[in-house]
Amino acid sequence: MLEAVHLTKRYSSLPAVQDLSFSLRPGQVLGCLGPNGSGKSTTVKMLTGLLQPTRGTVQFDGHNIQDGLAAYRKRLGYVPEEAHLYPYLSGWEYLELIGTLRGMPRNDLAKKIDTLLELFSLHPNRHASIGSYSKGMRQRILLIAAIMDNPDIFIFDEPLSGLDVTSALIFKNLVQTLGQQGKLVFYCSHVLEVVEKVCSDVLILRKGIVIAQDSVTNIGQILGQSLENTFLHLVDDVDTMNVARDIVTVMKAA
Amino acid sequence: MISSLIEAIYRAWENFRERPFGRMVDLFVARIFRGGGDSDSEGLDLGVGLVLTLLAMPGGFVSLLLLNKYGTFLQWLRGATNVDPLAVALPDEYFFIVLSMTVTGAAAVWRWDAIFPDRRDYMNLVPLPISTRTIFFANLVAVFFLAGLIAFDVNAVSCVLFPTVVGATQTKFLFFVKFAVVHAIGVMLASIFAFFAVFSLLGLLMAILPLRAFRRSSAYIRGFVVVYLVGLLCTSFAVPDLLRKVKGPAPLWILLAPSCWFLGLCQSLHGRASPVLTELSRLAIPGIAMVAAIALGAYAVGYHRHFVRIAEATETTAIVLAPRTSRLGVLLDELLLRTPFHRGCFRFIGKTLLRSESHRLVLTAVGGLALVLSSQALMDAFENSRSLRAAALSPDALSIPFILSFLIIIGLRIIFEIPVELRSNWIFQLMIDSDQQECEPLARRVILILVLPWLLLITFPAYGYLEGWAVAALHTLLVVAWAVLLTNIMLVRFRKLPFTCTLPVFKQHSIVVLLSFCFGYLIYAVSTPEFESSALGEPLRMLSLVPVAAVAWYIPHYLAKNTIAIERRLIFEESPTQTVEALRLSD
Repeated sequence: MLEAVHLTKRYSSLPAVQDLSFSLRPGQVLGCLGPNGSGKSTTVKMLTGLLQPTRGTVQFDGHNIQDGLAAYRKRLGYVPEEAHLYPYLSGWEYLELIGTLRGMPRNDLAKKIDTLLELFSLHPNRHASIGSYSKGMRQRILLIAAIMDNPDIFIFDEPLSGLDVTSALIFKNLVQTLGQQGKLVFYCSHVLEVVEKVCSDVLILRKGIVIAQDSVTNIGQILGQSLENTFLHLVDDVDTMNVARDIVTVMKAA
Repeated sequence: MISSLIEAIYRAWENFRERPFGRMVDLFVARIFRGGGDSDSEGLDLGVGLVLTLLAMPGGFVSLLLLNKYGTFLQWLRGATNVDPLAVALPDEYFFIVLSMTVTGAAAVWRWDAIFPDRRDYMNLVPLPISTRTIFFANLVAVFFLAGLIAFDVNAVSCVLFPTVVGATQTKFLFFVKFAVVHAIGVMLASIFAFFAVFSLLGLLMAILPLRAFRRSSAYIRGFVVVYLVGLLCTSFAVPDLLRKVKGPAPLWILLAPSCWFLGLCQSLHGRASPVLTELSRLAIPGIAMVAAIALGAYAVGYHRHFVRIAEATETTAIVLAPRTSRLGVLLDELLLRTPFHRGCFRFIGKTLLRSESHRLVLTAVGGLALVLSSQALMDAFENSRSLRAAALSPDALSIPFILSFLIIIGLRIIFEIPVELRSNWIFQLMIDSDQQECEPLARRVILILVLPWLLLITFPAYGYLEGWAVAALHTLLVVAWAVLLTNIMLVRFRKLPFTCTLPVFKQHSIVVLLSFCFGYLIYAVSTPEFESSALGEPLRMLSLVPVAAVAWYIPHYLAKNTIAIERRLIFEESPTQTVEALRLSD
């Protein structure tokens, strides 16, 4: 089980996340929602161990992840928000590099990479440099890199960014299958419909504070609305229709 | 036996590469060569093979040029039959030491950004089951490996050719072997010293300065290092003579010149060192140890301060000051940049020149070279003249604005070819009409705005004060006219928006272009000032330059007029010209 225990992160004196606590059980797919600046990325980085919390701990199976980061990361698959890849490596070379650095057995590695590239429709481009890849292709490379070592925990930060419809559908089904197989999945996204569809539970953040945390069905039932309306009700103080009208007015102005 | 040894080394390397640590070293070596940073743009990525070849070329060329000096037949023709090769080779030995330091230092400055692991490495490697300490050591091993590789590559050719050229005068093979070994030790150590000196400077700055201050100052510091290296190269013509003249203990300026330490080391190993050189040779090894220790310490501190905290740095919101509208900008818009295209693109070019690392670096290097050559000309002017007024009218002093304007114009023209974030040029492709022929006038305006103001503001008042306003007006007029004509020539068939086109491939006529630059420099910055110096006494003689100027003006004008419409269209892709084109009739 992965637990966030009273997590707080401050940059200088500015709080990004405050007293965040939740747990993630095997088989659970926890969606994390929140507007820009709500602390989603900071939470993800603390869960991956990239950032140290100012206060509180992230615990995996009862142990603070900071006490054994390498062992924890061996069991972690992470898809970051931005695809920072080495443009001069080919897709195949990049995956082979990640596989080697993760300590995967060499004899299975090449076969596994080829099969995954085939399944993600990247096999024909496997020897082209990543610099020539589209955003969606880079995203698929990141997804393969995250899953190829069969980790127990998955942390996805906006994983559908740039993916085409088919790849996105495959990925959504993959997340559900991972959940059914007893993996722990933390899924961060702006796309409410996807979270509603693939996640069993949802965590809504606003200004670094948890404002709602329950199963997707329960959250909707509380207000008797869809997840999108519930989210807007909980998070945004903005009258979106009014803002849209104002934008059109400014567009028309000379 | 040799092949089995090579095979064993290859196998050991492959085994090393297969381990995670080896893969990381391999990755860091590649990223240092291919460029760091978060950008995916092509930039100046030349590939490992070409970089190594370029680094090896200067030593090779210089060695070949020395054949003229050491050729036995040529020496015999000159009547030099009893030559002491070690004594004759001293200035050349010093030159090779300085050359190896300059080339290696320049390579380290060029790859400055890529030496330290960056945000991309952080995002790719830190989430993996590898400790940050392992990443630290892998990058360190890569840096040490590269220091060795560059030192070897820069000097490999000269280590064979130079001793061969010098040894050609000797009958004993042992002389060649001993000379080659001593030369190799001297230049390799000098290279390693230069690499670590740049690396320690980088590390110290990273360790001391906050990240934003470091990023802002980085290009200027690199420019300063490049100017220092070029200056160091220029000392090679004077230092050996000065060293010979020194009697007694070494003066401070020699002690502070690392290139002299390595010359001292070479001469000590040859057993031919004077007391001064012996004293200097004692500084070589401790000097290397010191810079390596500083580099290591600064690297460790810098790594901890910047790399380990990258995640925190990216989360912090930067405080950005709102841009101000400058009066100069408004004035330029009203007087020179009258179309929206000119106004928008001029700002884009200006901001790219000021903010893009690679462009700033090349611009600073060109500026540095221009300053070094100008200072040399100024020194020569004072050395050969008795008074300030006489010095001002000497060809050397008159050549200064010509040197500066020539190098800046050529430099800017070259910089325009270096792309910046090609993926972002879709906005220009979308917004600009390809048939609109405004790129060449825009490029001309940019160059002239960057060159003419200081020519007018410095040359005219300086010469007005020293030589009277008539001479000042003539000199300034000539410099301005030459700068405008050179700009016109440089922009013949220019049909791209600066920085938005792919990097031109090396073409067969590139060597001819290079030679034309050298020839052009001789006419522009050497012959013209010489003529001007003699003509300023009789101003009417200056009129003989009018036909030259008319021809220089007419040729680009004629070429522009006779270019067909399709060749004037704006381009975003520099595709190579095919020598032979297949017609594919069978397809």
